[in-house]
Amino acid sequence: MAIKQAAGRFLGVICCLFWVSTVATASSLSYELTPRLIAKDTWLLQGKLEDFSRDNGANIVNTAFIVTSEGVVVIDSGPSKRYAQAFRSAIASVTDQPVTDVFITHHHPDHFLGNQAFSDVNIWALPTTGRLIAEQGNVFAENMYRLAGDWMRGTEVLMPNKPLEQTAMTIGDHRFRFLSLEGHTGADLAILDETTGTLFAGDLVFYQRALTTPHTPGIDQWLTDLDKLAALEVALIVPGHGPVDAKGKSIEQMRAYLVWLDKTLTQAAFEGLSMNEVMKIPTEPEFADIALTQYEFIRTVFHLYAGYEEAAF
Amino acid sequence: MRTFPAILVLLCLCVPMAAWSQVNNELITQASHNDTERAEQADPLNSPVWHYLRARFLGESPYQFDDRVVVSVPPFAEDPTQVPLLVDVSAIDEPLLRLVVWADLNPIQHIYSVESADRHLPRIAIRFKVQQATPVRAAVLTESGKWLVGGQYLEAAGGGCTAPSMANASPYWESHLGEIESRSFERAMNSGRSSQRYKVKIIHPMDTGLVSGIPEFYIQQLEVRRPDQAAILSMELSQPVSENPVFTFDMSSASVTAQDRYKLWMRDNNGNVFEQAL
Ligand SMILES: [Zn+2]
Repeated sequence: MAIKQAAGRFLGVICCLFWVSTVATASSLSYELTPRLIAKDTWLLQGKLEDFSRDNGANIVNTAFIVTSEGVVVIDSGPSKRYAQAFRSAIASVTDQPVTDVFITHHHPDHFLGNQAFSDVNIWALPTTGRLIAEQGNVFAENMYRLAGDWMRGTEVLMPNKPLEQTAMTIGDHRFRFLSLEGHTGADLAILDETTGTLFAGDLVFYQRALTTPHTPGIDQWLTDLDKLAALEVALIVPGHGPVDAKGKSIEQMRAYLVWLDKTLTQAAFEGLSMNEVMKIPTEPEFADIALTQYEFIRTVFHLYAGYEEAAF
Repeated sequence: MRTFPAILVLLCLCVPMAAWSQVNNELITQASHNDTERAEQADPLNSPVWHYLRARFLGESPYQFDDRVVVSVPPFAEDPTQVPLLVDVSAIDEPLLRLVVWADLNPIQHIYSVESADRHLPRIAIRFKVQQATPVRAAVLTESGKWLVGGQYLEAAGGGCTAPSMANASPYWESHLGEIESRSFERAMNSGRSSQRYKVKIIHPMDTGLVSGIPEFYIQQLEVRRPDQAAILSMELSQPVSENPVFTFDMSSASVTAQDRYKLWMRDNNGNVFEQAL
């Protein structure tokens, strides 16, 4: 009897997997991307404040495009081939200009797995980002298939084709400045459109959505990078995740949370807390409005606490 | 460590299959005579292999599920190679002979067992490797011969950006094998009594033997010894204990006296012995 139960459950899991993918195929998966004008020539496709799922097709990321006088510049290609195809249609719905250049802010899958739909144009990324995509891209892609299911169909890793070594570039009537930073993944590109004062911060800035830490070189580094961003002359910040911010509040929120994280983990290690105990520490009430804070805090303890423990031995 | 994380992730797909067929074969022989007498307590975690593993780890002794056996794991295994696991049986006010901890659906289920000379089991935190979502169990044997069982379900689906760290592929451990760091902390316990917490880290790859071409290589025994070499705490460890293990023990102050200078003693399956004063 126990055997049947075991086998039944196992088959159940398998059938369930097929069932999900069949249902997903039957209904048409559509990202419904609607570009929103956020500055002169500048359009945003804002993702949900959620984690990757089969409901949202991993559309939790902000992508954007700038319509210059000599072609369209794209910031991040999105989480899947299907997303990026919808992205190109969305661009075509507001301009006849061709896409000429894509900039990938960092090597996380939701920011570059749409590259296939831009294979005909320049895809720029920091050289280190290119190396990281080559090393980890396929593992990320597999993970995304698992989390987002059929939305990912046909998606494969396409490497950026232009290593970005310049610190500035003029494309048509827009002048772009590039900052090569490290805080979120070790290779993070922030792009300032000096023509409009719009800062595309990539995942160096999350706003109203908890930041993620799986590849950060450390909170200190991240705080240093935020200082650099805060020092820029900026009219509007476009975070990697969350709403745009014209007042610099997103950077303040990031700073407050990172400082709290660092202090909390340092003190926990100094008191000898085990990882389980740290994961149960409630986050501060001031972060209560930030989506997924307690969830991302647990992930962060997984990512970073061993390092803090090590320093406290 | 040499158990390359990506390989571990892939193993999720194949290793448990082998484990399943093994489980099923043994179940065939057991199910017949167990069915009649085992109408007792249903497994609160509904595991398909509960009866098989109960028989294996607890034998035919009586058992009951008991909330005082607290198993604490995170709600999901963000890093399947380093899942923190804390077991606390301090709410049980009677002598305890032995504690066994395992994960039902791991290819190697047993994580550790522990016995203590004074029959007071400390609160123990470690980290372990998990292959897939699974119930995680702890069972303690009371003096009356009954097992009290606690458990917690561990989700191992992961989240976004969850590829494990690649730093593990470095050969750092080869020149640092067996290096131990330890520290003690004064702790207040819920009961108001104070306790001494020992936290220990040792450099060791803890290879499971499940990755092809990499033989198993892991610490099998750990003892906390008094100056006269008598063990006050003995642990048997299995392969799922994480690379570079970090152990946390809360010893009640009653068993820690000022003149005691405990020593930690460990031995791996290759016969290497590691020792350090705590
Ligand atoms: Zn990111």
